[in-house]
Amino acid sequence: MPANVSPASPLSASARPQLVLELQADTAYLPVAAAAAENAAQVYGLDRGGALRLALAVEEFFAYLCRHAGREEPIRLTLAHGGTFASADFRFRAGEVSLRALNFAASVDLSSMDADNGDEAELGLLVAGRTTDRCGLTRSGPDVFHLNAEVDREYPEAEPISTPQHLAAPLRLEPQPAAGALRHAALLAAGRYPARLRPSSFSRPERFADMVAWGQYQALLALDAAGRPAGLICWRASGRRAVVFSGPYCFDPALAVETARLLTEGFLSRVARTEALCAFSERPTADLPRGWFENLGSLTLHGAPADAENGEGPEQSEGVDQPAYYRHLREDAGAAIWAHPDLFPFLRREYDRLAFSRDLLPAEPTDHTRLAAHSLLATSLDRLRGLAVLRPLLDGQDFAANLRAHVEAIQAQGVGDILLHLDLSEPWQGAQAPALAACGFAPRLVLPHAGASDILVCQHVPGHS
Amino acid sequence: MCPAIAELVPDYIRAFEAYTPSRPDPVLMRQYGVDHLHRLNNNENALGPPADARAVIEAFEPPRSAIYPSGDCYALRLALSERFGKDPERFLVGNGSCEVIASVIKAFCEKGDNIITADKTFAVYEWVAEFSGFEARLIPLSNWGFDPEAMLAAMDARTKILFVCNPNNPTGTWWDKGTMERFLRGVAGRAIVVIDEAYCEYVDDEAFPNGMELMERHPNVVVFRTFSKMYALAGLRVGYVCGQRDVVDYIRRTHIVYSVNSLGQPAAAAALADDAGHILATRRMVAEAKELLLPAFDALGLKYVSGAGNFVMVETPASDSLIYRQLMRRGVMVRTMTGFRFPNWIRVSLVQLPAMRDFLAAFGEVLQAVSTGPA
Repeated sequence: MPANVSPASPLSASARPQLVLELQADTAYLPVAAAAAENAAQVYGLDRGGALRLALAVEEFFAYLCRHAGREEPIRLTLAHGGTFASADFRFRAGEVSLRALNFAASVDLSSMDADNGDEAELGLLVAGRTTDRCGLTRSGPDVFHLNAEVDREYPEAEPISTPQHLAAPLRLEPQPAAGALRHAALLAAGRYPARLRPSSFSRPERFADMVAWGQYQALLALDAAGRPAGLICWRASGRRAVVFSGPYCFDPALAVETARLLTEGFLSRVARTEALCAFSERPTADLPRGWFENLGSLTLHGAPADAENGEGPEQSEGVDQPAYYRHLREDAGAAIWAHPDLFPFLRREYDRLAFSRDLLPAEPTDHTRLAAHSLLATSLDRLRGLAVLRPLLDGQDFAANLRAHVEAIQAQGVGDILLHLDLSEPWQGAQAPALAACGFAPRLVLPHAGASDILVCQHVPGHS
Repeated sequence: MCPAIAELVPDYIRAFEAYTPSRPDPVLMRQYGVDHLHRLNNNENALGPPADARAVIEAFEPPRSAIYPSGDCYALRLALSERFGKDPERFLVGNGSCEVIASVIKAFCEKGDNIITADKTFAVYEWVAEFSGFEARLIPLSNWGFDPEAMLAAMDARTKILFVCNPNNPTGTWWDKGTMERFLRGVAGRAIVVIDEAYCEYVDDEAFPNGMELMERHPNVVVFRTFSKMYALAGLRVGYVCGQRDVVDYIRRTHIVYSVNSLGQPAAAAALADDAGHILATRRMVAEAKELLLPAFDALGLKYVSGAGNFVMVETPASDSLIYRQLMRRGVMVRTMTGFRFPNWIRVSLVQLPAMRDFLAAFGEVLQAVSTGPA
């Protein structure tokens, strides 16, 4: 393709190598699943330790599913090469499933463990969830679930480049930067921006370049007149309809305004005709040009304890306001959302301020007698940023207690910033406002179109347990 | 286990986002709490159809709705034949020009082929190619217009179609006769050249090339025209393609018959019958709108692009999607340009002066609001 031709659909990716097995829900196949995972993980670039971790997760997941998955169809195990990680995905049917052991805060009373009542199997899931780098549960149909686990490849850390850059205009965009240029740019960004404002992979630049090569990140590079890196912006898909961006990173302060505008306009042009409906800031820098994004509000983040060692300064203990920026890539067609009436004043104020047309539908908590015993919350932890994000997956009678247990467990890990995302397309999620308030969560931001509908971001108030 | 439905879908469909049209005006008005809506988003001709077409529409008898239309738009093709002095078999009529875009791509492209067009132009060429599994090579605009040299440089043995939007939507730029002639000589018959002349009736300039003439010297030229813009029949969806007879014969093989309705066909034919006054009146309306808007944009210090066509594109100091929502709250609907890869620009249709004045008043309020707001 000639150099001046733009790809029409930058989010389309070629198929990744994968191995698919269909297994009867029978523990006789446990060694098959585990051996396949270990071997595939090594083929996909994991070292022996990483491969064993994935194999352990597969073994434990499969043992659990043998007990709980529907018997009418085999379980499908997909082992895939993710570029910088290897993944295992179980697709299964389960009419009634108790996956509470996937909760981050789940614990099992070992003294009462009894293989006959299922505790042994639940302990397996707990082990699996904690030995992988990421794991999650999703639901793709009325009784179709996916259990997914990922283990990352190891990459060497590199020294950031903090030498001042003196670059020359005019600048131009490099829409498809080579791996070497990406590694160089990542280290330049690591040398100029604090850890909380850049992806952790910038400190492991080979990992960042691989993430771009495999489509986990998309990146645009600005080059100066001599072809030297002048700036970088990168983004990734967040769900099916949103992208989140980090940057723009500008390497010469004298050219920062021009660099930031070039990168921002290039980024928006690239995502404009893709499946993405909107763009959110993930790690916005102060170089983000004014007038290109809407300010959704801000979160007060305290960061990880280690940030002080990274030059974050003492203000971190007081908390730093991190603004959230947004841009809709289409014309808003309006929407209806579900929320508990307690949330209406906040939501009305925010929707009015942002000029979003929304019908607010009242959602009340479901009668306890109609709920399953246990709820399920997904947790993602970013230890570098000292940030945890909770997402409700399944409602249950123990929702409030489960949420409180999560907060305590996350705080015990030394992570102080806890967010909870409610998808307001789900009445049962919108109805959780009283439980959230009782647990110390306050509504902070509305993220339009970030989920199936809008997402309400609630933040745990420090000091409240 | 049965495969997930998504696993049955080709990658190029999974990666494609369906276009979401605007909701009906009454729904939008309710959502945004307004009692009126100026439609300045689709470049519709606010004067309405020419008198003869209007008469045909008013005389349409409901019982005719029970009868299938002419499957190949027989009478309309005769009218086009008479108007342009060409064999009626050289015309193929579709349900708007979007349908004929799909027909042309289906007729000439197979797996591994590509089409070439601009990155910032009417999106449907690119979309149809992409969701049909063909590569769309997108050439950056040069000085707001199509770049002929870069388009030629992007051609290879698998290039089947080059789409030239002349005048270009949304910039209004156009190639003159010399540029078009040099480009066609450069293509040298190696691929089909589609000249989309959806807005050609808005151009009153001797230097503007007429695709209907070009195709007689360049048999690989295919021209698209529409009754949606100048002729104000957008609601009836009538567009057509004209080319050499053998070219049109191939396109016809992929084209759905009976796709143009019984009201649209005679209305379009009538629109051609006596259109001179209608075209003059429309051009006058567009000129008056420009005389009002462009100095106002200058006074506001806003950059704009105003070429041929019944629209103007203006850069905004805030996100175009935010400007859209704020204008909607004031009863004005414009087109955001991020989807055209012009982030922070809006496109405004040029209509009668009262609506233009309303737009300017609302736009001024919105600019004030966003300049003092948190964005």
